[in-house]
Amino acid sequence: MKKVFGRIYILIIMMFLYLPILTLIVLSFNKAKSMSVWKGFSLKWYEELFSSRIMMGAIANTFSIAILAALIATIVGTLAVLGMAAMKQKTENVLMAFNNIPMLNADIVTGIALMLFFLMIGAPRGYCTILFSHATFCIPYVILSVKPRLNKHTDSLFEAALDLGASERYAFRKIVIPELKPGIMSGFLLSFTMSVDDFIITYFTRGAGINTISTLIYSQVKVGIRPSLFALSTIIFVVALVVLITVNLRQSRQEAAMAR
Amino acid sequence: MSELIRLESIVKAFDDTVVLNGINLSVAENEFVTLLGPSGCGKTTTLRIIGGFERPDEGRVFFDGKDITDLPANQRPINTVFQNYALFPHMNVGENIAFSMRVRNKSEAYIKDKIKYALKLVNLDGFENRRIDQLSGGQQQRIAMARAIVNEPRVLLLDEPLGALDLKLRQEMQYELVRLKKELGITFLYITHDQEEALTMSDKVVVMNEGYIQQEGTPEQIYDEPVNAFVADFIGDSNILSGQMVDEKLVRINGIDYPCIDGSEQGFPPGRPVDVVIRPEDIDILPYGEGLFNGTIISKLFIGVHYEMLVESEDGKIEWLLQNYDQHDVGEKIGMHVDPENIQIMHKPKSDAESAMELDL
Repeated sequence: MKKVFGRIYILIIMMFLYLPILTLIVLSFNKAKSMSVWKGFSLKWYEELFSSRIMMGAIANTFSIAILAALIATIVGTLAVLGMAAMKQKTENVLMAFNNIPMLNADIVTGIALMLFFLMIGAPRGYCTILFSHATFCIPYVILSVKPRLNKHTDSLFEAALDLGASERYAFRKIVIPELKPGIMSGFLLSFTMSVDDFIITYFTRGAGINTISTLIYSQVKVGIRPSLFALSTIIFVVALVVLITVNLRQSRQEAAMAR
Repeated sequence: MSELIRLESIVKAFDDTVVLNGINLSVAENEFVTLLGPSGCGKTTTLRIIGGFERPDEGRVFFDGKDITDLPANQRPINTVFQNYALFPHMNVGENIAFSMRVRNKSEAYIKDKIKYALKLVNLDGFENRRIDQLSGGQQQRIAMARAIVNEPRVLLLDEPLGALDLKLRQEMQYELVRLKKELGITFLYITHDQEEALTMSDKVVVMNEGYIQQEGTPEQIYDEPVNAFVADFIGDSNILSGQMVDEKLVRINGIDYPCIDGSEQGFPPGRPVDVVIRPEDIDILPYGEGLFNGTIISKLFIGVHYEMLVESEDGKIEWLLQNYDQHDVGEKIGMHVDPENIQIMHKPKSDAESAMELDL
């Protein structure tokens, strides 16, 4: 009895989580434009998606900005962590406090602040201002994920490498960087997803005529969403799902190898 | 034996804390020297200065007659076994051992042979491809040794290498280290806070406290003839008592006179206040009234080989620590005797003012 109840409970939760997405996927294959009537299977919304220059442009913008912003944030953040390690503990703590504030700050505040900043310095708003903003709000997250990897233990590994005759550059490349790598990777992935996800900051820092997926959807809400956006959402969902499954599979395979 | 390492009046401070107060130390070729002291005594800093990881504020470091004070760590013919081993976690055992040889661009065939040799030396044949996190603490310790010696350093620095191991393994590794040292024929400079480790393995023990070297000598000298109360207290259990010389070779402790073997010749003239060390195993138990002094047993502990007892003097002013193979009961009144040669007379520690006056003389 208990078991049955538990299963039903899980089923309800799963339905809450996945039924909306399932609806979206089904509707993306609907022949009709209607959101409530099923008129048969069709791929025409996918065709529309891939032939629409506006949509393909938004997709290209979203992902190129995400990759570039994540790359910039990762480099800047990692260098910042290395710099902070050479500072006095007190200075470092103050800097870390400043690093944590933007993460707690509401996106809307960050967005408006960045917009005002660009207006003030007279920067033409467009691709570059979005990129700059995304890199900016990602840096604290990179610092937060790389910093714990650089600690006393890394220091002593570095010293051990010197002790064994390595030059500082060699020790840094062969010992310190591999130690930081997991932090750098997760910082990059975190930045990438946050950039793809972002709407509010993009909305305030973009210029006219440039869209990312999120701002494009928002602008279409006003005139009525076309099912080609369902097609787009479906593709994004499937890509995310595949990535997640591969990562998890790989992890469990690694764990199995470790257990052996 | 020729001198290999010499420290000359090394001073080192971190911020405002002076860690080393003018350390002079000489280590001979092929010697096993142990720096012994409580945490914070400056022993690790001394080691780091020799390894090249810290630069002294004052003083020079000599290696084989050459001044190496300004030579960076990676150019010193010295290798270190770190306290936490500092094995590279993303490399396997073989790659860890190969690190110093890869840095020097040795041929892969040479490296392979050397890894084999080093693993054999530390009794871990066939461990080349193990990952570091698959090793036990004792195995990691051995790999750290293998990695440090494969480069044939002239000196091996060991920073509390056995600190993280359990008692049994620690004792095993002590024998192992002495064997390794014999096989390699290189100089060991060892750091520990464990007096037993220091006494069992070393040719020379250097006791440090608060940035000063308190005493240096063979383990026997350090144990039998501590120069001050700190050394006596730190090396083994002991009764440290305040006394006064009352005559040549006669010291008075708590109103009772004890014959000893030190007098004016050793710098303890009659009338001089002194510290006295009596090791607990040197106090013999006799029937009540037949010894030099009497007391009542107030507690008793069985510690494996022997009993450890606390005995209160008759006037209740002193508690003596005794170790004896025979069992006596709590509450029993006993007489006690100490042979004159087992009474170690030491100078009282001088106050700063007194030392200053001595300089004026």
